[in-house]
Amino acid sequence: MRLLNLFCCFLVFYDSVSQMPVAEGKSVQQTVEILTRKLELLGAEKQGTFCVDCETYHTAASTMGNQGQAGKLMYVMHNSEYPLSCFALFENGPCLIADANFDVLMVKLKGFFQNAKANKIESRGTRYQYCDFLVKVGTVTMGPSARGISVEVEYCPCVVANDCWNLLMEFMQSFMGSHTPGIPSMFGNKHDSIYSPGDTMAQYMELFNKIRKQQQVSVAGIR
Amino acid sequence: MRGKMAEGVLSPGVNLEAFSQAIAAIQALRSSVTRVFDCLKDGMRNKETLEGREKSFVSCFQESLHSVSRDLSELERLSNLVGKPSENHPLHNSGLLSLDPVQDKTPLYSQLLQAYKWSNKLQYHAGLASGLLNQQSLKRSANQMGVSAKRRPKAQPTTLVLPPQYVDDVISRIDRMFPEMSIHLSRPNGTSAMLLVTLGKVLKVIVVMRSLFIDRTIVKGYNENVYTEDGKVDIWSKSNYQVFQKVTDHATTALLHYQLPQMPDVVVRSFMTWLRSYIKLFQAPCQRCGKFLQDGLPPTWRDFRTLEAFHDTCRQ
Repeated sequence: MRLLNLFCCFLVFYDSVSQMPVAEGKSVQQTVEILTRKLELLGAEKQGTFCVDCETYHTAASTMGNQGQAGKLMYVMHNSEYPLSCFALFENGPCLIADANFDVLMVKLKGFFQNAKANKIESRGTRYQYCDFLVKVGTVTMGPSARGISVEVEYCPCVVANDCWNLLMEFMQSFMGSHTPGIPSMFGNKHDSIYSPGDTMAQYMELFNKIRKQQQVSVAGIR
Repeated sequence: MRGKMAEGVLSPGVNLEAFSQAIAAIQALRSSVTRVFDCLKDGMRNKETLEGREKSFVSCFQESLHSVSRDLSELERLSNLVGKPSENHPLHNSGLLSLDPVQDKTPLYSQLLQAYKWSNKLQYHAGLASGLLNQQSLKRSANQMGVSAKRRPKAQPTTLVLPPQYVDDVISRIDRMFPEMSIHLSRPNGTSAMLLVTLGKVLKVIVVMRSLFIDRTIVKGYNENVYTEDGKVDIWSKSNYQVFQKVTDHATTALLHYQLPQMPDVVVRSFMTWLRSYIKLFQAPCQRCGKFLQDGLPPTWRDFRTLEAFHDTCRQ
């Protein structure tokens, strides 16, 4: 077995507040239950749980040479699918895949990167397997509040991102119905390149950023 | 006991007639002994006087004892007539096993009999099966096996024995035919060639050959490991993905379908052309139902003539 497991994965942000009518009053929990029930009806098997979390680091002001240069944000993420690895990404920049000791290194680099603890965001939920598909339905939480739902669908046998998009769409339509998303923007320019776990984490990062930017509208309605 | 030994003549010393009579005598003896004990159990019958009762009881008892002794002597006479079975065992060595008294712990003889019966049945069924299979020729090679040396024509080219160089040449020519398919040949186990075919970034196929005939194929994903720990091509382990397990089954069907005993290189070429159609495994929808997925699998079947994609359940 190679260390890197190559697969194709697409990430979807499913927001209970915006997509479902408020009058019904469905909470995040209930929507997750609806999705998981549909998956189980399809024939998927539950296979444990998963967790993806993301911490934000600001570049410290002391390291700025130029006054006008904006501080860069670095995201350090973990994925339970790769328990021995740690991912570090910049917004539109490169992705570093390191081993788990990277967290300790970040502590030592306190002078250069400061941890914005309030911005820690994570997604937790259950893993399902259906034939060669791996589906992870998770609740996105920031601090104590649940902000949305993330659905990750992975088609394991295919390694080229663009090849199997239609296949994935069809599968997602079977259990997500009309809420199936369009092709993620990051795959527009990458034709025929082999998919890597860094691409998954980049998608999660985009998703978490989108959730953070959203206004915290009617928190009571979500519960 | 039945069949051959009906008359009791074949096996000297065993008088079957006397044998059955002796068994009847045993039954008679048993019933007379039972009568004795019944008589004792019943005790004295109800009669007018005590003497009368005693007398009738004693006479009844004596009578039953006499019948016992009569039956016993009859039995002894008959048992002398039955005689002993012959000393030489007709079962030879295996019969000696049956003399083992501890039947619970070492049931060797009964197991031996069962094994013998089973192997006889197996031989019979195998004979029937070979007769049925020989009716339809399943040979892909041009060799005629089972024909006597006299009748075999002298100048018959045996396509089973080809020089390895020829095989290498054919394979390298096919390798150059398609740009997206690359074939790597190795001979880790003797003279049979093992091909590792890589099709684009979709899949890898391990083909085990016997001179120029394709023996087995295994289809695996592009990212799966095809080598064993020693670095040799792994020809046994299956793919981890259901879609490639399905494609492996289809590839096996294909290698049985493309048959031309006299021109094996054409066969290999056709097989590789068929295999090449899998470059669009994840992109092509099914020609019949128009969908991409059926039970979670993409269209894995490729028609042998037209190379169109179908789901396994959608093909004719």
